[in-house]
Amino acid sequence: MNERILHDYNDFVLPFLIGFVFILTYLFIGLVRIIYHIPPEDRRKLLRSFINPRILLLNFKDITHDCLLHIKIYKRNLLLGYMHFSIAFGWFMLIIIGHIEVLLYAPKSTGWQHLYYPIFFRYFLEQSGHTTLRGAFFFFLMDFFLLMVLVGIGLAIFKRVKSLAFGMRRTTHASFADTIVLYCLWAIFPLRLLAEGFTAGISGGSFLTKPVNYIFASFLGNDLNIMPTWWAYSISLGLFFLALPFSRYMHIPTEPLLIILRNAGLKAKKIRKGFSEAEIYSCPSCGLCIDACPMNVQIKNLKLSSVYYMRFLRCHNHQKTQRIANACLMCGKCVEICPVGIDSCAIKVVERGTMNNSVQYDYNYLQDGKINLLSLLETQNSNEIKPLLEKEITQDIKIANKDFSSKNRGKVIFFAGCMTHITPIIIQSMKKIFAKAGIDYIFADANGGICCGRPLLLAGKLDAAKELIKKNTELFKESGATTLLVSCPICYKIFKEEYKLDNIVILHHTEYINKLINDNRLQVRKNDDTLVYHDPCDLGRGSNIYEEPRNILLKIGNLKKAEKEGKESICCGGSLGSLSLNRGDRVKITQKSLQALTYCKPDKVITACPLCKKTFAEQSEDIPIMDLAEIVANNLI
Amino acid sequence: MNNNKNILIIGGGPAGLEAAIQLQKLNYNIILIEKSDHLGGHLAEWDRLFPDGVKTKEILDKLVNNLVGVKYFLNTEIDSINLLNGSYNAILSNGITILAKAVLIASGFDLFKAERKQEYGYGVYNHVISNADLESYFKDGKDQRVVKNPRRVGFVHCVGSRDEKVGNIHCSKVCCVTAVKQACEIKEKFPDAEVFCFYIDLRMFGRGYEDLYLKAQQKYGIRFIRGRVSEVAENIKNELIIKAEDTLSGKPIQVTLDLLVLMSGMMNSKSGLELGEMLSLNKKEDGFFECKSSIYSQQFSNKKGIFYAGTCTGPKTLPDTFHEARSAAMEINTYMNESNKE
Amino acid sequence: MTNFGFKLVTSSRVNLDKFDKEKFDKLLKIEPDIRICMACGACTATCSAGKFTETSLRKAILLLQNGDEKGAVNKLIGCMLCGKCTIVCPRSINTRNLINNILKIYSK
Repeated sequence: MNERILHDYNDFVLPFLIGFVFILTYLFIGLVRIIYHIPPEDRRKLLRSFINPRILLLNFKDITHDCLLHIKIYKRNLLLGYMHFSIAFGWFMLIIIGHIEVLLYAPKSTGWQHLYYPIFFRYFLEQSGHTTLRGAFFFFLMDFFLLMVLVGIGLAIFKRVKSLAFGMRRTTHASFADTIVLYCLWAIFPLRLLAEGFTAGISGGSFLTKPVNYIFASFLGNDLNIMPTWWAYSISLGLFFLALPFSRYMHIPTEPLLIILRNAGLKAKKIRKGFSEAEIYSCPSCGLCIDACPMNVQIKNLKLSSVYYMRFLRCHNHQKTQRIANACLMCGKCVEICPVGIDSCAIKVVERGTMNNSVQYDYNYLQDGKINLLSLLETQNSNEIKPLLEKEITQDIKIANKDFSSKNRGKVIFFAGCMTHITPIIIQSMKKIFAKAGIDYIFADANGGICCGRPLLLAGKLDAAKELIKKNTELFKESGATTLLVSCPICYKIFKEEYKLDNIVILHHTEYINKLINDNRLQVRKNDDTLVYHDPCDLGRGSNIYEEPRNILLKIGNLKKAEKEGKESICCGGSLGSLSLNRGDRVKITQKSLQALTYCKPDKVITACPLCKKTFAEQSEDIPIMDLAEIVANNLI
Repeated sequence: MNNNKNILIIGGGPAGLEAAIQLQKLNYNIILIEKSDHLGGHLAEWDRLFPDGVKTKEILDKLVNNLVGVKYFLNTEIDSINLLNGSYNAILSNGITILAKAVLIASGFDLFKAERKQEYGYGVYNHVISNADLESYFKDGKDQRVVKNPRRVGFVHCVGSRDEKVGNIHCSKVCCVTAVKQACEIKEKFPDAEVFCFYIDLRMFGRGYEDLYLKAQQKYGIRFIRGRVSEVAENIKNELIIKAEDTLSGKPIQVTLDLLVLMSGMMNSKSGLELGEMLSLNKKEDGFFECKSSIYSQQFSNKKGIFYAGTCTGPKTLPDTFHEARSAAMEINTYMNESNKE
Repeated sequence: MTNFGFKLVTSSRVNLDKFDKEKFDKLLKIEPDIRICMACGACTATCSAGKFTETSLRKAILLLQNGDEKGAVNKLIGCMLCGKCTIVCPRSINTRNLINNILKIYSK
């Protein structure tokens, strides 16, 4: 096939070379920076991940799935997925096969030539004699993948005009660098087609480039027009590389790095450096999170979406990032939807930490002898507890607690939490359920308790939260109970993730009631009510509990679907995650979320979080909002 | 001379009844419609009135007895109403059509549904009742939730009023004096009970109200605690535990009660609002109808020929309601005479 | 002047002349709703920390407006940011944001 090397160099490769060297240097420095800012213990984790075969396999799978095949985007919208896939995979194959071609047909190439030969193969190598089968195969492959990329580019241009066809209602505005890179990207492949088309007469081609060659040969002088097209091709490539670091397309080289870091178990510890930096540069600015964010119900709050957070972080605009970080509801929908899997909420919590962790607090009152388990409990087992409570608050309390705890092995300790006290019907319902099922339980915070600590954690006050965690852990361990039952998903999430409760099983009341019904300790009757279930952010996306509440509700009424539910459930708007959102903004979010739940006009809306219940009930005029425990208690046989 | 002139009065409560009585004296042809099965509106459900404890039965009987010659339909609402040649053409739910030059809207108020304040546990705990429930109890003595000889009774002011969370930032005017009145009545019935009133501001604006307040403190020893109740819990014995802050001493306060009375506030009635939609009547942010001028012409609506009387334009006392009814009657008479000349 | 031997006692009277407008204006920019507090006490009543130590947003606002900044901070440092006060406030003040910002602006 191609045997003779025409020249080994031409000036036109310079723009490409400059760009390429620039981007390689930039990436290298960036990599060093990121690794440098990763804390030492995380660096050790990273190194360990390289010798762990499971993680290595996971890395390979994730990189192929997300960077090349874009499976997550396919799941979102077929056209969108194909567009990304065709450009990414097509270009990747062009590069690989280009390198294979060089290996096969230009084995004597040296030094710099390794860099530009694969890119400009059709210029530097000419075809002599007839085409072999292997040669035709390679020509075909290159043309095929070039066509694949061109189709993708065509779709990308179409998306600019009609984004709704790709399932995206709103999208982000492109910056100047973004536009340059985008136009270069659009230009590279048509120019390549032109350039290779012109040289197809000399260097050979296949079904795409040969016809181009014939067309041009018929009315344009072939020789004269080779150079301008190759120059144009090289310049577009060079410009692409030069502008890349300043644009959103930096996600192309950064995403594989992010996958490796994430699979090694690293998390964001600083706002702008280390792991977060990898996340920031991986954000492709696709704007899927704009549609996901519950605050988008008001146009003025569109700029609070995660994509803008990432942008402002990248250009160091602290005022804007702080504003977004303070407003975020922490509902997690943007994290769930992000095709790159960026956990922007974690970075926002880190940023809140820089603002709030050093704010003064004083929890010395937690250490008083005053707060001991017995003082918080409901005096239901008054025969047991009363004599213990009457002892002086001294050493005796420690002994009293020990007595108490040994009597309580195997019992269920029910922790209502701050929010459930504001919706007492949930407590009443749980008591009814306990009575019906014959459960021996302790009501931990009957007289009010200490907050679980999650609101402090979400506000970035990690040190303050740790003190609450410590005290609560003491109290739970002292009680001797083996099951911790909570009615609030906010508490549930922190108990599971941050508390170290050893042998105590933590259950949300939906899991518990589901278990009771399955074990036949509880029976419910069915009626004709149409029900819709709202997945609370912290229970659904936050703790992966979607099925248990639905299993229960199927036994009670006709369960219908909401407009958006499960992983895409819309936040109720009452979230304690937001620090600065005001009442007016929250009410709008609640109303929109309620609309999505009630579009099929159900008889009742059921939720599993006291805060969701309270928030929705304030805006729901006709349709009652009930907690799962409530509707179960109302329908006990 | 006026016998063939129709006036439609919507609402058979005190405002509607009094206006009907006055207009009847002027010989107009009155048609009064009432959506429930009895006349008197909320008045028929109450026991005694502030500040002097006049029995509602007295007032109600007077109204009903003077209602001679007024045609009224019970269990009737307006299906549709529209303007027809300068008069109002109303189709009633009983099928009758009325053409009336003037319409008086006396649709009254609805009480705030106390169960909407979930943290107070109305409908959840056994011994939490509303002010309306207590009046019923005083009238007929039958309410399971009121224990015999309660040791401690509490009243929570501003339930559903002055509360942005439930969408009612207005003050319902009369609940403070009602609370004090009911507190005194509880003491009369259960002399050994301790009574607490949890208020934010004590609005004793009318004649005789301050005296009532004085009597409550002096004669009955009722404790007034300035602090909004934030939540109510129940102990094993089904007693209610109230959490509030005693803002005057600046300390959180806790007390166990046998009975808790929630002072539900006033809102524009649902049927009134539906009527307002049919007629495109202006209302203000608090949901009540807007008068032409809040100072000078409270009986006029934004529509010619439609008049207001009573609580549909805002919370008010009974005497005020009667004033408005009589004032509306006079304005309607003037209006009818003027349009006669045209 | 004859010295009668009376000592000067620091008055416990609130002196509104000594109010720090600059800091308060800073706070107002972030949370203007501090103005609409009607001192009903619902926040204090429901406070989780208030069970164990004197924590009261109502008092803190009062003290702040009376110029006692230290006292105001002391009434808020026990706050666990649990959010119950935000739920019960009848004027829908964003109490958690207010508490956090008072502590940020006024504490040492």
